[in-house]
Amino acid sequence: MKVLEIKEVHKIYNSSEVKVHAVNGISIDFEEGEFAAIVGPSGSGKTTLLNMIGGLDNPTEGKILVNNTDLSTLKSSDLIDFRMKNIGFVFQSYNLIPVLTAKENVEFIMNLQKRSKKERNERTMELLNAVGLGERAESRPAKLSGGQQQRVAVARALASKPKFILADEPTANLDSKSTETLLEIMEELNREEKITFIFSTHDNRVVKKARRVVTIEDGKVISDETR
Amino acid sequence: MITSTAWKNVWRNKIRSLVVIISVTIGIFGGVFAVAVMNGAIEQRLEAALNTELGHIQISRPDFRENFDIHLRLDSITNLDKKILELNGVEAVTHRTIISAMANTATKSTGVQVIGIDPVQDKQVFSLGDKLIPGTGSYFADSNKRNPVYIGEDLAKELNIIRYVIAPATIDSLRNRDVPETVLSKLDGYQGRRFRNQASFTDALKDTLTKKEASKYGRKITEEAWSFRTRTRLTLTFLDRNNVQTGGMFRVAGIYDIKNKMYESSHVFVKNSDIGRLTGLGNEAFHKAVIRIGDIEQTRNITRQISENFPDLEVRSWKEISPEMAMMNDMVEQFYIVFMIIILAALAFGIVNTMLMVVLERTKELGMLTAIGMNKKRVFRMIMTESVFLSLIGGVTGMIISWGIIALTSRNGINFVKYGEGFEAMGFSAHIYPDISITFFIIVTILIVVTGILSSIYPALKALRLDPADALRTE
Repeated sequence: MKVLEIKEVHKIYNSSEVKVHAVNGISIDFEEGEFAAIVGPSGSGKTTLLNMIGGLDNPTEGKILVNNTDLSTLKSSDLIDFRMKNIGFVFQSYNLIPVLTAKENVEFIMNLQKRSKKERNERTMELLNAVGLGERAESRPAKLSGGQQQRVAVARALASKPKFILADEPTANLDSKSTETLLEIMEELNREEKITFIFSTHDNRVVKKARRVVTIEDGKVISDETR
Repeated sequence: MITSTAWKNVWRNKIRSLVVIISVTIGIFGGVFAVAVMNGAIEQRLEAALNTELGHIQISRPDFRENFDIHLRLDSITNLDKKILELNGVEAVTHRTIISAMANTATKSTGVQVIGIDPVQDKQVFSLGDKLIPGTGSYFADSNKRNPVYIGEDLAKELNIIRYVIAPATIDSLRNRDVPETVLSKLDGYQGRRFRNQASFTDALKDTLTKKEASKYGRKITEEAWSFRTRTRLTLTFLDRNNVQTGGMFRVAGIYDIKNKMYESSHVFVKNSDIGRLTGLGNEAFHKAVIRIGDIEQTRNITRQISENFPDLEVRSWKEISPEMAMMNDMVEQFYIVFMIIILAALAFGIVNTMLMVVLERTKELGMLTAIGMNKKRVFRMIMTESVFLSLIGGVTGMIISWGIIALTSRNGINFVKYGEGFEAMGFSAHIYPDISITFFIIVTILIVVTGILSSIYPALKALRLDPADALRTE
C-alpha cells in the first residue's frame, strides 16, 4: 500500500534577481514499511523535498499525496492536524522541549490529541522502552546524551502512530556508537512494527542500512535503487 | 499540558523572569501603596471635615448664606428638631448661632465668624472638643464661667496669643537638640520670665548670647520656648439685633487644631447663651441646624426628605456645602484606577519586551511544535499563558506586600510631619493612616490579569506568524 506519492513536484524560489529551481519535477512513491534514504549533496533539494513531504512547505507545481490525501487541498489548520496524525518528524538537532522530561516530551503530542492518561502512560513507556530509555523517562534533555536525545525524538515521532517518519539528517550530530544504536532501533521498529522511515542524509552509515536509496542532484532524481 | 509547559517555560531563564516579576511587584506595590496613602489622607480629611466643620446636613433660611443677616433665624426650633429626629437614619441635631465679628487682642485684630453653640447638644454632632491642643484648656468644661471662647491654632498665632518662656523642660529639649551647655547655662537666668512676643524675646536673648550663638541657636531656642497663652482676653465686636455695634470681652479657654488653617483662622466658638445675651437675640436664636446621620450613603435621601418637610428652608447636604470635598470623595476612586492603569501600562511594555525575546529565542522550538502538530491556537495559548503567569506572579506578590504594609502602617499611621505645613494648609493631616477598599484591591487584581493578557497578544501573534519550515532552519 502506498503511503506517500510524489507527483511531478516542482519548487521554485523567486528571489529578487534569480529564480532557483530547488526541486525540478520529482515523482516517486513510497510503500508502507519502507526504510528509505534520500541522499544527495548539499543544495540538491533534499531538505526542500522533505519539507514538502512533511507539509511544512507547498510545492510550486505538482501534487503530494499522503495516504491518498492531497496535501495541497488541506487548509493550513487542517494540515497541522493532518501532520500530527500522519507524519512523524525527527530533526537533526533533536528539538526536544528542554523544560520537559523525556516522558513528557514523548507524551506531548498525545496530550494535544487529548488521549486518556492511562493510554498516554502505557504508550509513552512502551516507546521509551523500545528506544532503550525506559529508565531515563524522568530525565530532562540536558541530562541525556545526543544519541539518547535523538532516541527520545524518535519515540516522540512515533507517539501518534503516524503513517511514516521523516528524519532530516538524524545522525548528523551523533558519534558512531550512538548512530549505530539509533539505526538499530529504527531498523527494529521498521521490521517488527512495519513503521515506514524516510531519511534525508549524507551519512554513509545510514545509506548502508537503507533498503532503498533515492539519489537527488539539482532537484532531480538521478537514481532510485532498491536493495 | 500547555499550562504546565508554560509554567515551566517561565522558569527557563530564571534571572530574566525574576527581573520582570520584581519590576511588576515593585510597580504594583508602589501604585497600590501610593493610592492607599492618598486615600487615607482623603478619608481622614473627609472624616475630619464632617466631624468638625460640616456635619452631614445643614438647614438655614434660604437667604442667610448670602448676607449672614442675624435676623434670619430658624423659627420654632423644637418642632423642627422633632420632625428631623423622627426621620430614619438621623442620629442627632444641633443648632448654631452664626455672627460675623472682629476679634481683637491688645495688639492685633482680624475678621472671624463667631459660632454660638449649646455645648452639650453640639457634642452629639461635632467632635471639636477632641481636637483641643493638650494643655490649652478643656472644652466647655466649666459651665459657670462667663464668656469662654475657643479659637483655632492658626488664629492664636495670627493674634499672637503666644508667649515665650524658658522653663526647665525647655532647657531639656534644647539639650536634646544639641545646644551646648555654655549656651544653656546662659539661658538659666531667663527662667521664670515671660515674653509677650518674639521681638522682645529675641532682644532679650541678644543681651546674653554672643552674636554667633544667637545666630546659630536663636531659632532652636525660639521654637522650644514658645507656647500658647491661654486665658488671654479676646474682644469680639459685632452688630446686635438693632444693627448697633456691640461687643464683649471673652477669654480664650482652649485652642483647637483640626489641621485646616483656613478654618482655624476664621472660626471661633462661644456659648450660644453668651452671644444671645450680647446681641439681644436671646437663647433661642439659631441660624443653622446641623444634622448627623448614621450612614453617609443616606445623605442624599435624608436631605431630600427634610427638604420635602420644610420647603421654606434651605437644606443642604455636605456635598453641596463643600463641593470640593464631594468631588474628592466621588472622583478619587476613578482617579486611582487611572493611576494604576498608567503604572500597569508601563509594566506591560516590560512584559511585551521579555515575551518578544522569548519568542525570538525559541523560534526553532516553536517551529518544531507547529511541525509536529501543535496548532496555532495552542501556540498562542502557550505564549499567552506564560505572559499571564509573569504578570500574575509579580502582581499577586505586589498585592500581598501592599496589603501587608498597608495593614502595618494603618495601625500607627505614617508621619509626614516634615511636610506637614503644606498638608495642613490644604486641610490634610500630616499623620496619615493608609487605607484602601477591598473593591479597589479586586479591581487592581483584575487589571493585572488584563494587563498580562493584553501584553501577551503581540508576542503571541509574532509566534503565530512563524513559518515552521523557516523557523526550523534557524540556529
